[in-house]
Amino acid sequence: MSVEHRFLVRELKLVLARPGDFFKPMWFLILVISMVPLALSPDSKLLGEIGSAMIWVATLLALLLNADQLFRDDFVDGVLEQWLFFNRPLFWLVILKLFCHWLFYVVPLILVTPLAGMMLSVPNDVMIALLVTLLLATPALTCFSALGAALTLGTARSGILGVLVMLPLFAPVIILAAGVLTRASDGSDILPLLALLGAFSIAAATLLPLAVGVALRLNIGGSS
Amino acid sequence: MGWRWFHEWGSPKWFYDRAGRWQRVCGFLALALLLVGTLWGLGFAPADYQQGNSYRIIYLHVPVAFLAQALYVAMAVCAIVLFVWKMKLADVGMQALAVVGFGFTVLALFSGSIWGKPTWGTYWVWDARLTSMLILGFLYLGLIGLRSAIKNPDLAGKACAILVLVGVVNLPIIKYSVEWWSALHQPASFKLTEKPAMPASMWVPLLINLLGYYLVAAYLVLASMRTVILDRERGSAWVREVIERD
Repeated sequence: MSVEHRFLVRELKLVLARPGDFFKPMWFLILVISMVPLALSPDSKLLGEIGSAMIWVATLLALLLNADQLFRDDFVDGVLEQWLFFNRPLFWLVILKLFCHWLFYVVPLILVTPLAGMMLSVPNDVMIALLVTLLLATPALTCFSALGAALTLGTARSGILGVLVMLPLFAPVIILAAGVLTRASDGSDILPLLALLGAFSIAAATLLPLAVGVALRLNIGGSS
Repeated sequence: MGWRWFHEWGSPKWFYDRAGRWQRVCGFLALALLLVGTLWGLGFAPADYQQGNSYRIIYLHVPVAFLAQALYVAMAVCAIVLFVWKMKLADVGMQALAVVGFGFTVLALFSGSIWGKPTWGTYWVWDARLTSMLILGFLYLGLIGLRSAIKNPDLAGKACAILVLVGVVNLPIIKYSVEWWSALHQPASFKLTEKPAMPASMWVPLLINLLGYYLVAAYLVLASMRTVILDRERGSAWVREVIERD
């Protein structure tokens, strides 16, 4: 079995071993969304107008729930040290790890958002645009939150710091996604903005793993 | 010539003494320039035909907002120096710049909102410049938070350097995306490529103040670098000498 294959199998086993971590973000998302009508108003027209933005923010927060855990367990039990001895570059292992995280934790969360959309009576075409923006934007968001997690590995369990440090950098992604949603709701062309969003995600997914690798190496104690 | 300067710059004691002298020079020059620029700007420059006298806060607001961004770039230069030449002084510089930069960002937001009230009728709008300045403030705050959370100073410095570099790549993207999103703020007062739109009697004092505030920033950064050096080198003999001397 190749390193990549074993890596993916191990990540899958870890997910299966901790089903709580798998379901908690979805649970959080639905819970937050059910609070929105209580806090705002049960009026479905009003909810439909702001629903997509609420779902976006709630999904973002749900993503950040697990972000701090990304490397912490592997760091504590010494697996990260083993990464340095693989005959693979560190950033490639980071990419694999982030891909697994995205596939096993983020994509299931995105698949739950249509339910949240129904709860807030978001129109169908906006819901489809919402799903596409989430799929395009989450790789970038995962990479940024991974950098936050990697930078704060050396601190005692202060889970929120990585999020606080990284959240300002999410701004362009959120703006572009919100632009797509506004255009989708008034029926204009969303493809140019989707292309920009995809470009941002691709740039983040190719460049940030390098930075995450440097940050991990710092914390493992190797030379940078 | 050779590499002597490199070793000198690597020595905290050498820098501490030199920076003390530079700090005094910066302080006096800043005082002189700010006195001239502020008096000229507040007392003698003509009033704006639209905004009347309320525009005069420009003599504080523009330099401070300018510096808030320039200091981040300076921090990025320090981060590169730290990574390439492993110069510890660059890390000290980064630590000082983060705090001073955050101060200038807060001052820019604050003076901007005071200016916004008579001009736009509100202290805060979700305009592009204001929003990207707010995000810049959060980036500075994140750097200060990250450094204070990591105990090992070497590790903290390098972690901050990574964050600074990721931030500096992102800042233009944030700026343009936010600008596309919403723009109410007047365009930049100074551009290197164009002649300013205001008359010389308005922009000359502004330029003097801009230089003055640059020197204020240099003064503050040097002062805070010297404090950081004393703190980091507190075990060494020369620090004890310095403290007993002063």
